[in-house]
Amino acid sequence: MDPSEVEFLAEKEFVKIIPNFSLDKIYLIGGDLGPFNPGLPVDVPVWLALNLKQRQKCRILPLEWMDVEKLEEIRELERKEDAFTPAPSSYYMELTKLLLNHASDNIPKADEIRTLVKDIWDTRIAKLRLSADSFIRQQEAHAQVTQIMGINHKAVRFISYQQEIQA
Amino acid sequence: MFITDLRKNFYDVVANQRVALLVAADIDALCACKILQALFHCDQIQYTLVPVTGWQDLSTAFLEHKEQFRYFVLINCGANVDLLEMLQPDDDSIFFICDTHRPVDVVNVYNDTQIKLLIKQDDDLGVPAYDDIFRDDEDGGDSGNESDEGSEPSGKRRRFDEGAIERRIERQRAKREWEARRREILFDYEQYEYHGTSAAMIFFELAWVLTKDTKDMLWWAIIGLTDQWVHDKITHMKYVSDIATMQRHVSRHNHRNEDEENSLSIDCMRISFEYDVRLTLYQHWSLYESICNSYYTACCFKLWTLKGQKKLQEFLADMGLPLRQVKQKFNSMDITIKENLRDVIEESSNKYGMKDIRIQTFGVHFGFKNRFLASDMVHAAAALLESTEKEQNDTTDNFIKALDSLSRNNLDCLKAGIDLAKKKLIAIQQTVASCICTNLILSQGPFLYCYLIEGTPDVKLFSKPLALTLLCKYLLKAFVHSTRNKRCKLLPLIMAAPKDVEKGTVIVVGIPPDSETSDKKNFFGRAFEKAAESTSSRTLHDHFDTSIIELKTEDRSKFLDALITLLS
Repeated sequence: MDPSEVEFLAEKEFVKIIPNFSLDKIYLIGGDLGPFNPGLPVDVPVWLALNLKQRQKCRILPLEWMDVEKLEEIRELERKEDAFTPAPSSYYMELTKLLLNHASDNIPKADEIRTLVKDIWDTRIAKLRLSADSFIRQQEAHAQVTQIMGINHKAVRFISYQQEIQA
Repeated sequence: MFITDLRKNFYDVVANQRVALLVAADIDALCACKILQALFHCDQIQYTLVPVTGWQDLSTAFLEHKEQFRYFVLINCGANVDLLEMLQPDDDSIFFICDTHRPVDVVNVYNDTQIKLLIKQDDDLGVPAYDDIFRDDEDGGDSGNESDEGSEPSGKRRRFDEGAIERRIERQRAKREWEARRREILFDYEQYEYHGTSAAMIFFELAWVLTKDTKDMLWWAIIGLTDQWVHDKITHMKYVSDIATMQRHVSRHNHRNEDEENSLSIDCMRISFEYDVRLTLYQHWSLYESICNSYYTACCFKLWTLKGQKKLQEFLADMGLPLRQVKQKFNSMDITIKENLRDVIEESSNKYGMKDIRIQTFGVHFGFKNRFLASDMVHAAAALLESTEKEQNDTTDNFIKALDSLSRNNLDCLKAGIDLAKKKLIAIQQTVASCICTNLILSQGPFLYCYLIEGTPDVKLFSKPLALTLLCKYLLKAFVHSTRNKRCKLLPLIMAAPKDVEKGTVIVVGIPPDSETSDKKNFFGRAFEKAAESTSSRTLHDHFDTSIIELKTEDRSKFLDALITLLS
């Protein structure tokens, strides 16, 4: 899958916003949204949240896992374990990039969060390389991969292609 | 008519309509345009942006678009002329004019239907009262009455006739007196041209009322205000009071997000109030170059003389700054020097007679590398707007490039603009130095006059109005500092430079005299018109500022003679 496709799918995740306008419930193909009342939090998909944010019609609240302490814990866990640990969310990398690019003024300590997410990503990619490397060296036919997210699939294909060439 | 509630009478009216934006070619207009564009994007209002450089452009643009659009927004153009007469629009076209040019034409003020002025009324407008200039014609009714009375029986007719004739003579005399007074009032009102509150600030206030104001819009409003100050359009008092208004908005924005624990990401835009030194572009240049090319320091030191150069060296030594440090790029200077730089400069400049080396302004800071002062952005955008780099001077291209450079994400555009601005400033300094040293400025009696000959280096740069006005201002200040003649210090300056070699035209600019308490009121607009009429010179009064005209080279001398006689 293309990274842009993965990002498109990531935008379906829900995030809490506080709108500053009012609108009745809207009925979309993907589901119902709303009603919107000024000052009251409501759950919307990320694509709508970003659009409203750019039109200055809402304020985005940070996701519950986008917190410095939680991310630090996850990072430490990831570093300790050899296998993959559960990632904060299926689309943590894409969501971080989208939200921090467009709504960094609504998310506290945005710089630290960016660094922490990048650390987690780097650790996971390193584990992936290691496991793909050992997989090919040992000429195994199957491998069980758990907890790998969409964007990592492309990385796997790329790394295994690289390894194939070297072997 | 003046609009007081911008949101109800302007924004809500255009909310679901398609709008044509006609924008003049100066930085304040560009900033106002950016703010309005951002508001339109938020509410998905369709608009068409048309840059216009003069009255002819405006008429052409209007003719092209009048079929499709009913609402026209004019930014920094159109207030100082009778718009309805010039454009001849249909009855349902509505014009929203946000213009800093004053005086506002009386027809525009008193038209209730088609012309809406987005201008604050607490500016010193001084519009004459309605009854002083307009009155319904009563003569038709009176003469009808008299003819009715004339059918009375003949005995009484003679007496009635005498009474009627006396009354008629009385009325005619009153009418003549009223007309004479009207001419006088209008002449006083329209004699001087000056500028009012920045258009960008007015649109920012609209955004604030709509609670859609962002830091980007605040920054553009600040740039618009700074443009008025850099190009000498408003008085110092007005600049200071407008800065205070902007400072309130800046503190409001800064308090909103900053918190001890939840500090903002480094990429967010931070605007801060700076009481900074008046050295143009010094953070993007070396300190030495900046001192040599800023007009304030160059004029106070008289850097075109040898003595001036020596004084500069003394000044640098007095501040304790080694020449090697001062001549390298500002960002690479020693951090210990940069820390107290402003205070050190202020202290030393007081000794050398430069009392106002520091000026209140704002700076912006985003990312790790990017720090800009408002005046830096003004110079960069002005250089891009009037760049003569490409062979075919495509004004629309330059306009779009200058507009882009104001956004945060077009930093290479901005850097290119800063480089062009540096070249422009160096060219201005060299021209000023050569004009003063070769005594090109002649006193013609009521004003000073200078003509840039064809072969002067960089003369192409000065065929543009903004650049030429800047050169004029610096030249006048330099002249005032270098001359001993007390009377000449109080004279205004007229400058002419070749504009188009094939067509054989020159561009002529007039600026008011240079003084601390000047109210920046310019009478050259009317003077140029009258002089052109009386000598039937071939002139083109195309620019929105009436003190900038285009003239055929051959008619130059008779035009000047007419001006001299007019103004003596």
